[in-house]
Amino acid sequence: MTTPDPVTALGYVDPPPPGVLDAARETLWSAITREMLTTDPSDDQTVPQTARHPSPEPRARRRQSGPPDPGS
Amino acid sequence: MTVEPETDGTLIQRSARGRPDAFVEVVRRHEVAVHGFLARRAGRQVAADLLGEVWVRAFAGRDGYDPAYADARPWLFGIARNVLRAHWRARQDANPAADRAEDPWDEVVDRLDSASRAPALVAAIAALPPAERDVLLLVAWEQLTPAQAALALGVPPGTARSRLHRARAALRLVLAEEKA
Repeated sequence: MTTPDPVTALGYVDPPPPGVLDAARETLWSAITREMLTTDPSDDQTVPQTARHPSPEPRARRRQSGPPDPGS
Repeated sequence: MTVEPETDGTLIQRSARGRPDAFVEVVRRHEVAVHGFLARRAGRQVAADLLGEVWVRAFAGRDGYDPAYADARPWLFGIARNVLRAHWRARQDANPAADRAEDPWDEVVDRLDSASRAPALVAAIAALPPAERDVLLLVAWEQLTPAQAALALGVPPGTARSRLHRARAALRLVLAEEKA
């Protein structure tokens, strides 16, 4: 095992509690949801036609990887 | 057969082309590192307060990301740095008597648990010009290469390398004197 560089060692901080990361991700999800609700998929000419149709997957992924429901 | 994970660049590009939720995977990969960047410089409470703002700004600016850059950390640290500077500027506006709004190094070291064990090193880092210190700490603390640090700071790679060289030379001198 190598000894860390003294400058590197000086900067050690403990990892954040999961709640901090969850709260920050929740802020991001709000921005994502806003964009998904306001963007007309037909505006995006870079997306193949088959991918432009609304898909249930974003909602499913939201449930899977999004922040916990505040009520739970 | 192993499937290579998508690069940050691919995910960010996909998030800008109709799948905004793809951006969340980029966040998951780097959230501890970006929190660490903020916590080392502003303390854990401020880091907790600002992390979400970093993600929102990054998400809003993802159209400008060059997907050829596989690793998004330099870009994210650059955004985190801007968020932090805005935070310090706002704090100074609220308290005009405070100085060094964008470089409150004294406060940074006060928050580091290990600072009291290395006072000479802390003093040497404090004495560095801020531009040299920025590169040094992106390499030593955030584990970026000098070229990645250049990207984060928006300077040419050669400039970052020479700043890093000067910073390390200054620290070596101080640490050698301390040992003598």
